[in-house]
Amino acid sequence: MAVIIELLGWGGKRQRYFTVEGPAVTIGRSYQNDVVLGDGHISPEHLRLDAIDPSNGVEGGWQLTDLDSLNGVEILKNSHSTSSHFTRADPHESNSLTLLGEGAELKIGRTRLRILSDSHPVDPAKELHHLEQDVGKLNRLSIWLPLFLLSLTLDIGALYASSYIEWQWKNVLSTILGTQAGLLMLALFWGGLGRFLRSESHFLSHYCLILLAGLAYSLSDWLIGVLGYNLGTQTVALVLKPLIALSFAGLLLSANFALATNMLPRQRWVSALGFVMLIIVVSITAQVSQWGEFSPYPDYFSGLEVPVLQFADAESAEQFVLGLDPIFAAADRMALD
Amino acid sequence: MSTHKNILQDGADRLRAPVAALLLMALLVCWPTSSWAQSDSARTLFADNKAGILQIRIIDITSGSKSAIGSGFVVNETGLIATNYHVVQMAASKPEQYRIEYLSASGTSNSLILVDVDVINDLALVQATGQITPVLPLAAAEPPIGVPVYALGNPLDLGMTVVPGTYNGINRTSYHPRVHFTGSLNSGMSGGPTLNQVGEVVGINVSTAGNQVSFLVPVTALQQLIAEHQLRGQGVENIRQRIGQQLIADQQKKFAQLLALDWPTIALGEALVVNELSPFFRCWGGSNSSSDKAQLLNADRTCRSEDNIYLNAKFNSGVIEHQFFWLEADKLNQLQFYAYYQRLFSDFAPGNKAREKDVSDYQCDSEFVAVNNVEAQPERKTKAVFCARAYKDYPQLYDVLFLQGTVDDSRAAFISHFTLAGVSRENAKAYARKFMEVAQWQ
Repeated sequence: MAVIIELLGWGGKRQRYFTVEGPAVTIGRSYQNDVVLGDGHISPEHLRLDAIDPSNGVEGGWQLTDLDSLNGVEILKNSHSTSSHFTRADPHESNSLTLLGEGAELKIGRTRLRILSDSHPVDPAKELHHLEQDVGKLNRLSIWLPLFLLSLTLDIGALYASSYIEWQWKNVLSTILGTQAGLLMLALFWGGLGRFLRSESHFLSHYCLILLAGLAYSLSDWLIGVLGYNLGTQTVALVLKPLIALSFAGLLLSANFALATNMLPRQRWVSALGFVMLIIVVSITAQVSQWGEFSPYPDYFSGLEVPVLQFADAESAEQFVLGLDPIFAAADRMALD
Repeated sequence: MSTHKNILQDGADRLRAPVAALLLMALLVCWPTSSWAQSDSARTLFADNKAGILQIRIIDITSGSKSAIGSGFVVNETGLIATNYHVVQMAASKPEQYRIEYLSASGTSNSLILVDVDVINDLALVQATGQITPVLPLAAAEPPIGVPVYALGNPLDLGMTVVPGTYNGINRTSYHPRVHFTGSLNSGMSGGPTLNQVGEVVGINVSTAGNQVSFLVPVTALQQLIAEHQLRGQGVENIRQRIGQQLIADQQKKFAQLLALDWPTIALGEALVVNELSPFFRCWGGSNSSSDKAQLLNADRTCRSEDNIYLNAKFNSGVIEHQFFWLEADKLNQLQFYAYYQRLFSDFAPGNKAREKDVSDYQCDSEFVAVNNVEAQPERKTKAVFCARAYKDYPQLYDVLFLQGTVDDSRAAFISHFTLAGVSRENAKAYARKFMEVAQWQ
């Protein structure tokens, strides 16, 4: 039975592993060891592991022997039934004996190791999600460049359309650069996470996803504006806008998770939903303090759209005046509260 | 020492023409008074009437110290004293927290009972328990313009003071008449008398616009209030109800008068807008037509009735405001023009100030309306907004805000707006009807 010695990196991720045949393994910095490590804080002969065969009630595992190392052996995790008595091998007590179970983690010098047998079970393969394959295609120049240009054009266009002062490119540039810097930072975050968790960043895919979500949100925002304008109420926007914003945020997050992490689809959706719930709770908390606050200014619906987008019918001035009574009645009710 | 606030303080209005600042009243600052040669007349008047002019103090019952001061004067033999409503307002609103007391020139002080108010003219009558002499006679006739008159009172708690000035007649530019007095009134002189050379009261000190421009309540309003009080024979039981009735009656009279008028119009761009409805409306206008940097044409006209009824330090009423904007896209494209129009449309505010304890929140509704010659010009789209807030202490009274915006194929737009403070439901509706009918894009 071979012993597997895994070298763990940041976050417990495996960086390298050694397979050693035979009943005993020595680990240290000198070349005579079975596992030779370069960490300068590891002694030339640091420790030895002796396999214990499982037989008549004796639990299998390894016996750890600290070979009088300078910095000792720290046991980070040990599943052996006797381990509770030996959570840490005392470096000052030479040749102390400790039993290690399957999957035990040690730290020697600044290096983390995991001890496994070669029969240790591994997780079943995860199915590649179709999203992952499709989203991966966003990396292509033919996709991300047009998308980037489209969003840039729309950004500038929207700024131009809403600007009624003298057009100054320097102001526009600073706004656009600010927005793009924000988007890139977000994409960089996801890319970095992907690089760390899956060794592939998909930076451009993340960037494209964020752009797509932004475009979709802008479009729905505009449609809601038109709807609210025709219905003459801000309740529509008040309810629909956060709903749509949150669903897009959820979708975007889920896709980001799919690209950047090893999560299963369910975990991904739950995480995205959890994040969205968090936003909801935070924004509700922020708004609770505002509820019922008096304002000396009227909060009327000022949403306006270009005339061609008005589909609702207009009433006569007389009908308008006759319809004012409910406003007075509502004001009376509020004054009595 | 806390001094009382003046009645003519400006409301916060985000779109007010800057000219309105001209009439911004401020009494809290002490201006150095110009020196004068004290005439014999002033000296005798002061000596003769000093005892009949009192400092009115509003005392916080719990702390026992004065929270506000003003002046007052004796108007009859029973110890009836006249002052301003805004001097005694705290005690009128919260009798459980404040009481009223007077301090005479000789140093005697005693408590006073509030017996009647005229909130419209900013007057109050308080009753002393005993006789105080001398009684100041009220002038039977209005003095001619230009005669010297003397305002007396207790400015800034500095002691009894006489301020000579000139009587400039009743100012016709406010709905509620005020005497224009050229002289420096200061905080604490409110409620004190202004006397003519023979020692008769010609007005009651009420407010200042600074720089020797001050205002008095005409003595006729006081005469009427005293007559009403004497007819009743006793103090008013419920001051709040009395104020509510006065506000209702005043707005009824004012709007009946305004709605009966044939409203004059004046052109603003392609629209006809309401001009100065009556002398007490002040209008200003402007445009950016001479500006090279302007991207669009923006012409506006604002009219405001200089008519503030003081209800408390942070709540005034009575003001009427009209505002009109004519916009042309000029260098802007449709979308940009629309963005400007929308921004302007979202930025309207009431003409008076109020607090949560005085009024409800505004309740609003917005509708598309078919006005502004829409039959002939179907591409014109008009949206109207109406908001109302109810007065908490004075039922049946509201502040309302109306706003209407019309835009055609996004090359021109017309916004009309009015606010009314302290108006009944029916008058507000009638006003809206008339306003929508008169202010139209032709």
